[in-house]
Amino acid sequence: MEPAARILLVEDDPRDVELTMTALEDYNLTNEVVIAHDGEEALDYLYCRGKFASRDNQNPAVMLLDLKLPKIDGLEVLEKVKSDEKLRVIPVVVLTSSREERDMVASYKLGVNAYVVKPVDFHEFVNAIKELGVFWAIINEPPPGSIRKK
Amino acid sequence: MSLIQSIIRATDTATRGKSKLNAPRSAIQRYALAVASVAVALGCAILTNRYHFRGVEFPLFLFAIAISAWYAGIGPAITAFVLSSLAFNYYFTEPYYTLYVTREDLVYYLVFLLFASLLTWFSIVRRRVEEALRKSRDELQIEVVKRTQQANLLNLTSDMIFVRDMDAVITYWNRGAEQFYGFTEKEAIGKHHYELLRTVFPIPLDDLVAEVVRTGQWEGELEHIKANGEKAVVLSRWSLQRDESDRPTAILATNTDITDRKQGEEQIRALNKELAKKAGELEAINKELEAFAYSTSHDLRAPLRHMVGFTELLQKHASSTFDEKGRRYMATILEAAKKMGTLIDDLLAFSRIGRVETREANVSLDYLVNEVLSEMPAPDGKKIGWKIRELPEVYGDHSMLRLALVNLISNAVKFTRTRSRPEIEIGCVEKKNNRAVVFVKDNGVGFDMKYAHKLFGVFQRLHSTEMFEGTGIGLATVQRIIHRHGGRVWAESALDKGATFYFSVPTQEN
Repeated sequence: MEPAARILLVEDDPRDVELTMTALEDYNLTNEVVIAHDGEEALDYLYCRGKFASRDNQNPAVMLLDLKLPKIDGLEVLEKVKSDEKLRVIPVVVLTSSREERDMVASYKLGVNAYVVKPVDFHEFVNAIKELGVFWAIINEPPPGSIRKK
Repeated sequence: MSLIQSIIRATDTATRGKSKLNAPRSAIQRYALAVASVAVALGCAILTNRYHFRGVEFPLFLFAIAISAWYAGIGPAITAFVLSSLAFNYYFTEPYYTLYVTREDLVYYLVFLLFASLLTWFSIVRRRVEEALRKSRDELQIEVVKRTQQANLLNLTSDMIFVRDMDAVITYWNRGAEQFYGFTEKEAIGKHHYELLRTVFPIPLDDLVAEVVRTGQWEGELEHIKANGEKAVVLSRWSLQRDESDRPTAILATNTDITDRKQGEEQIRALNKELAKKAGELEAINKELEAFAYSTSHDLRAPLRHMVGFTELLQKHASSTFDEKGRRYMATILEAAKKMGTLIDDLLAFSRIGRVETREANVSLDYLVNEVLSEMPAPDGKKIGWKIRELPEVYGDHSMLRLALVNLISNAVKFTRTRSRPEIEIGCVEKKNNRAVVFVKDNGVGFDMKYAHKLFGVFQRLHSTEMFEGTGIGLATVQRIIHRHGGRVWAESALDKGATFYFSVPTQEN
């Protein structure tokens, strides 16, 4: 199997984290998943500060971003990332419960790479996460400067 | 001199009496009068002379000249003067019966000539003055008549018209004003108009008058109090009158009663305010609904997903440790959670109908129905007898009308499922007044008309879920869409006799 690239999962709900991880497990994608529990933590990771101050200074290959987050919400994180010269190359996938058109429009306007509504059905959910993980972490060639498992 | 005065007085008297006489009109008559009066004077003078009354001829001739001047004009007066001079010379200055004058009588003759010419001159001047006076009096009379007529005309209008001088004192008050305000002309004239009418001015009166003087006019709304204490709102138009030397002399104010209109406007304004308040409330409610829908979309789906997800995981991990009953419970949990997911999605779709902007255009129902039918999943095994009649072109939002048709047609398909030969007919019953009534008729299970009022309610169902699946939101969606198009939706049915759903939609933009 191809080496998997690092995934940044920004998700505040531990149950969603668990379900997502379960889905990714099947493809052994969990080793390289970093979890940020709110928008602030996500930005700390991306800018290598706070508790991530000592990490190697490379971008994740993809960021799976929930929209409804404590402190700094997903759209704000997206805006920040897409307006930063170094971070804007990171592919961002919005992974949300919201089917609202305005959230979708706002995300695309900010330059999101994909918008995925979490299916209520578990099998659909697992499939969606698996496909996302496989596509972004294995099939897709991440931009230069991204972390890839050796 | 007293003689001349008396003559003037005499002519004056004659003038006053003149209206009874007919003054000679033609030139011949006038000159004849001059000659005749001199001749009479001469006759009288000769007669009196014969009886030795001397000195009478002098005033007689002067009198003749005066008569001629007065009644016959300048020419005859001069004629009378010349004739009198000659006659006086011929008959009454020595030597008699010649035109010579002796030195003794020359002074006497010259005095006569002087008096005669003075008298002629006086008469002519006086006549001229008199004529000028008469002329201006006639003009004045004509003017008075004209003014009276105008004033009468101003009385014909129901507008309230008054004139005020530059001291704000009323000098004219028409009948309209009399009737409307309840002050008679006598009561109004001489009063200050703003005191009489207790006017409420939009700007100070001095400023208003200054504007009228500057621009010549002013127009605006004023409040007046009538004699009976009633308040009136009038549309007032002021125009300035100037004299020949361009000094402002008076202001004409024309007032139209707009109290009713004003009250109407006031009512409309109040209603509009009320409406704006209601619209605001409605908007707030809509916002609330939107917030609710948003949180439904977001916050209710997450726990539902977790329920489903972890139940699935439980099933996967511990299925073998459960007995049949346990597995059924888990399946029920899953089923219920999924159903709730569908309900939430339907509710969201339903609330979206009210929230999204509509894009209205001409929509061909023919085309739309065919499109819907081609995408309708075929019912298992059975062939439906479709009867699609001619359908009109309507005016509305394409995707919404499509959704309404999808709901109505899939309902028809659903409720004819138990029939051995399902039949569905779609057509248009009437098209008038920019409105078309379209129907979808089936030969399905139908419903009892006593529940017709529940048909279009959210989550209302007239059949059990075991018999016919569904969340009960379809017809509510149809109704909401048709209402947004300004139409109406209703149904006719009998239990087990099929159902017909009607809806009306506009056929063109209004």
